[in-house]
Amino acid sequence: MTAAAINRLGLVVVALLTLAAPWFLPLLVDGFWVDIYAEMLIWSLLAASVNLLFGYVGLLSFGQALFFGMGMYGVAIGVAKLGLGFWPAFGLGVVMATAMALVAGALAVRLTWHYFAIITVVFSLIFYFAALSWKPLTGGDDGLSFTMPPIVSIGEWELSLTDPTVQYYFIIAIVGVCYALMGVILKSPLGAAFRAVKENDHRAALIGLNVYLIRLTAFVIAGFIAGTAGALFAFFGRYASASYMFYHVSGEAVVWAIIGGAGTLLGPVVGTSLLIVLREELSHAWEHYLILVGIIVILVVIFAPKGLGGLWQALVRRIARPETPPPSTDAKGEDLP
Amino acid sequence: MELVIALGMNGIVWGLIIALIALGLSIIFGLLDIINIAHGDFFMVGTVLAWFVFDTTGNYWLAFAIVPILGFAIGAVIEYTVIQPIKNAAALSIVATFGLSIILQESVRATFGATPARLTAPIEETVPLFGLEYEVYRLFAALLSIAAIGCFFLFLHRTKLGTWMRAVRFDPETATAMGIPARRVYMVTFAIGFAMASLGGVVAGPITTVDFQAGVDILPFCFMAVIIGGLGNLEGTVAAAVMLAFFEGVMASFTDPTLARIGSLCLMSAVLLVRPHGIFSGSTR
Repeated sequence: MTAAAINRLGLVVVALLTLAAPWFLPLLVDGFWVDIYAEMLIWSLLAASVNLLFGYVGLLSFGQALFFGMGMYGVAIGVAKLGLGFWPAFGLGVVMATAMALVAGALAVRLTWHYFAIITVVFSLIFYFAALSWKPLTGGDDGLSFTMPPIVSIGEWELSLTDPTVQYYFIIAIVGVCYALMGVILKSPLGAAFRAVKENDHRAALIGLNVYLIRLTAFVIAGFIAGTAGALFAFFGRYASASYMFYHVSGEAVVWAIIGGAGTLLGPVVGTSLLIVLREELSHAWEHYLILVGIIVILVVIFAPKGLGGLWQALVRRIARPETPPPSTDAKGEDLP
Repeated sequence: MELVIALGMNGIVWGLIIALIALGLSIIFGLLDIINIAHGDFFMVGTVLAWFVFDTTGNYWLAFAIVPILGFAIGAVIEYTVIQPIKNAAALSIVATFGLSIILQESVRATFGATPARLTAPIEETVPLFGLEYEVYRLFAALLSIAAIGCFFLFLHRTKLGTWMRAVRFDPETATAMGIPARRVYMVTFAIGFAMASLGGVVAGPITTVDFQAGVDILPFCFMAVIIGGLGNLEGTVAAAVMLAFFEGVMASFTDPTLARIGSLCLMSAVLLVRPHGIFSGSTR
């Protein structure tokens, strides 16, 4: 088997397990793991938006929680204050996050590296404090909760996320669409342009790419992804709160993305899953389990700088090697990438 | 008017303490190229250690001597175990120090508990100043911060180790070739950064609350000072910290603290966008 085939097989297995989770998880462990699985998928989207910017365009954003929070508030304000239905509220959340990303990105992508990382934190802090102080609209510290509107209702019959199975498959569908979208974008010429900008923005500009526009496009797409995650999480928890806009949430997303492996499409899922499973498993055993999480984060950074995704790729290459015929008989060529 | 003066004065005092802490952040960034997300927690560890010293000995003055030394030692250990293995990888440094921040906060919560404590100032007198009764401890805190910052600049410019630090920052390869032990300089720099933040914690302890999350609020403020002052520009950092805190204090007397914070954040983004290298830099590097 070639490395690509192993990866594809792994992807199919994970996809099947994900689809079958509502059946086997209650049998294996406990029913509430289905919810945790769904939560994992939502948070992995936030990590994926960090990864899209950092892993593919080379911009380390520490402010993705802003767009996540915008998505949450869009949904909560839509339902609780404006009386919108399910889809209009969902749309409002995503549109608010994307519009915010367009405005913030237009300013932020003029900067790079440390300056970019810091201005994204500053932007998210501004709106964090704004959400805290604008109590009539956002509920301030307490947040804003709402009752779930149905997805569709035809006469007596209605489909709603209050049904856990419906909720699970709805989340999977939306998250799946987002990952497919990212996959398509990254394979397209735009994805190639992203990588060109990441490798060397001066050369990218010299071959006629508009670096500013490419970075802005990536920023808006990442904002859209984070906003979708936020809107989903608002429906999942039936509330929105300013604490999800704080820079610590962004920081966690950055950590998940890098632990999972920045620059791989599914790395963020791996990182997010690992840390949420750790949280669920360890928090029962030891109140101060976060110390262990911190230690694991540091150990991964020191011993696997490419993240767990990088470790997996190395493992796959090792398994795949004997079965792929070497391109040349020259033994020295073995160590070349 | 009295409120404006009082909050403005508090702003300057707080700004000097922030300057001391931010200076630590600035040298760690300038020399090691490490973006230290855990720096606010270094400050927090300082306040908690001060609380422990006060709790066991009953004498707050001892904390001023003991805590920076403890901070230096902890900093050296952290540099050796966490920072050295990831040297020269700025993105990874953010992740690693984020992990460090989690560890520090949670360790403090495990030992100290989650309830915020209040420390009584070792000086409780007030003096009349600009038509109001001002706390002497705050004046002492300001003077001590100025003294500590002054000592640091003297150290940097008058001692052999300080010269080494500047040399390593300027050109690590040449400095190593000249026989300067760059790795040890890095370790000392990081340890000094921790010591300064923890001293800031001791100074600020009686003014703020002692809490395992105290660093979370202070970190963005330190970054603001470092950025507005210009990355790696130490004098700029000090000036920016005092200006920012004064600005926020005066703003807070007209509106409320949250809006004042939003105001200073907007000011900071304007500075970042117009002069990303800080307002004190002559030209872009």
